[in-house]
Amino acid sequence: MRTRGVWKAVALFSVLAIVSLFFIVPLAWIVASALRPASPLYEYANPLTWRTFIPSKITFENFVHIFTKLDFGRAILNSLFVSVSTIFLTVIVASMAGFALAKFDFRGRQLVFTIVLITFMVPFESIVIPLYVMIKQLRIDNTYWALILPGVANGLAIFLFRQFFAEVPSEIMEAARIDGASWLRIYWRILLPLSMPAIVTVIVMVFMFQWNSLFWPLVATHSSRFEVVQVAIASHRSTENTSWANLFSSAIAGSLPPVLLFLFLQKYFVRGISGTGLKG
Amino acid sequence: MFRNNRVAWFFVIPALSFLLLFKIWPIGVSFIESLTMTSFTGKKTFVGFENYTYLFKYDPVFWNSFWVTIVYSVIVNPLIVISSLLMALLLNGSHFFTRFFRTVFFLPTAISFAVVSVIWMIVLDPYYGLANSFLTLFGLKPQPFFSSTAQALWGLIMLNVWRSSGYWMMYFLAGLQNIPEALYEAAEIDGASTLQKTFRITLPLLTRTMSFVLVANTAFNFLSFAPVYIITKGGPIGSTNLLMYESYKSAFVNLDMGRASAITSILLAIILVFSFVELRLTRAKFDY
Repeated sequence: MRTRGVWKAVALFSVLAIVSLFFIVPLAWIVASALRPASPLYEYANPLTWRTFIPSKITFENFVHIFTKLDFGRAILNSLFVSVSTIFLTVIVASMAGFALAKFDFRGRQLVFTIVLITFMVPFESIVIPLYVMIKQLRIDNTYWALILPGVANGLAIFLFRQFFAEVPSEIMEAARIDGASWLRIYWRILLPLSMPAIVTVIVMVFMFQWNSLFWPLVATHSSRFEVVQVAIASHRSTENTSWANLFSSAIAGSLPPVLLFLFLQKYFVRGISGTGLKG
Repeated sequence: MFRNNRVAWFFVIPALSFLLLFKIWPIGVSFIESLTMTSFTGKKTFVGFENYTYLFKYDPVFWNSFWVTIVYSVIVNPLIVISSLLMALLLNGSHFFTRFFRTVFFLPTAISFAVVSVIWMIVLDPYYGLANSFLTLFGLKPQPFFSSTAQALWGLIMLNVWRSSGYWMMYFLAGLQNIPEALYEAAEIDGASTLQKTFRITLPLLTRTMSFVLVANTAFNFLSFAPVYIITKGGPIGSTNLLMYESYKSAFVNLDMGRASAITSILLAIILVFSFVELRLTRAKFDY
């Protein structure tokens, strides 16, 4: 019986290892290629040897090139600024609304809740074109505002905060009210500090959304001043002669922040998923 | 629950203004825009459903995109659901290595669609790509991939399976955790095999998760944009010209907002129809 279990585990491990090659091999190859000198970038793909995955000479010159010559650093800073601003605004605005929806019985509550649910079911891509028409009318196209503000309208974040605050016992707030604390103070000094897990989940969610978005920034801005990471990567492709070295190295440099965040905060990625109302 | 209308609205209004302005309003604008036509001088006129009738009656480019999008969805959605479900079933145990593989399968989720597109464009490059190196290694003929009308769409499908399976796998893993252990114990006492347990207990009890994943994934894939924009630009010969990309081209290359908005509205209608049908097909017949 015991040995049978071991053999089962070995079989399972082998199957998983083979499947994981499908995910790992392309990534390993891209990383190895970006670490080669720019000219023989491709030489080792065909025929396939171990050299394909391990460069004989490791160099960071491709990365130095995109930062010193192509101003990829500007794109990184733009994406960082847009992500952090969106996160800051979303956490404040969504937690306030989540608090009201969880703890107050007010006129129009049902309507607000319906609007929240509708908006997180309408995918962002489907409103990109009308959104562009609108920000043009507001005269904020081609600004940081255009990149930040639509990202703050996040029904899912409101929903996550509402679910979290609903679990916080109302007695804490009642006690604070008796001690004469204002509602704003209760929200700011008691609820917000309590809701760290919800805040981190929302931070991760909003960061991934803003850092990885291509379609909206492509549409909403056209000056290179406002070029964000994904648009910069795509532009390395669309120039007349695609420079593979630039493309590889910017793709890797641009993916490092979200991948690192993912590896360290994986728990919160999963929490974002299980918090979306799947549990019964 | 506290009762205080003024305080509650004070907390709700900022978020509500964002939602109304940047989500609800654009949905309305989109529909109104689809009923107008912009002349060369930039003047907008109301034309009723003319944009729609034109698309349906005289627009072969639209019809091509329509069918490409339908074919793409009908293949990619079940494929992703099956692959993510299989991955979840393989990883539902608690061996010392399951955590590691979970991370590996989930990792592509952290990489943007733009970067995933770059990766697969190069992996599937007909001359220098890794995929053809593997094919020749096993004595098979190199393939043209994205430069062939027959294979380009399959390239996009492959890319999507690679990027999205791990994400939906997490939903299935969450669903698997919710199945009561007692059911399996009872089945074991009755002498059920692993296969029987999977088909008689696990899969039927996962129907609700499955219908959620299918519907959410369908909406998501109907709106695929980045891979088409980065790799194929809709080609070769329109074989990967998905509706979302056609709508983008219409709006920002040909500056025809009316046509673009009409296409987006049709796309949303298709998503609604598909979601409805999928919900019907996967409706759970019992509860636990």
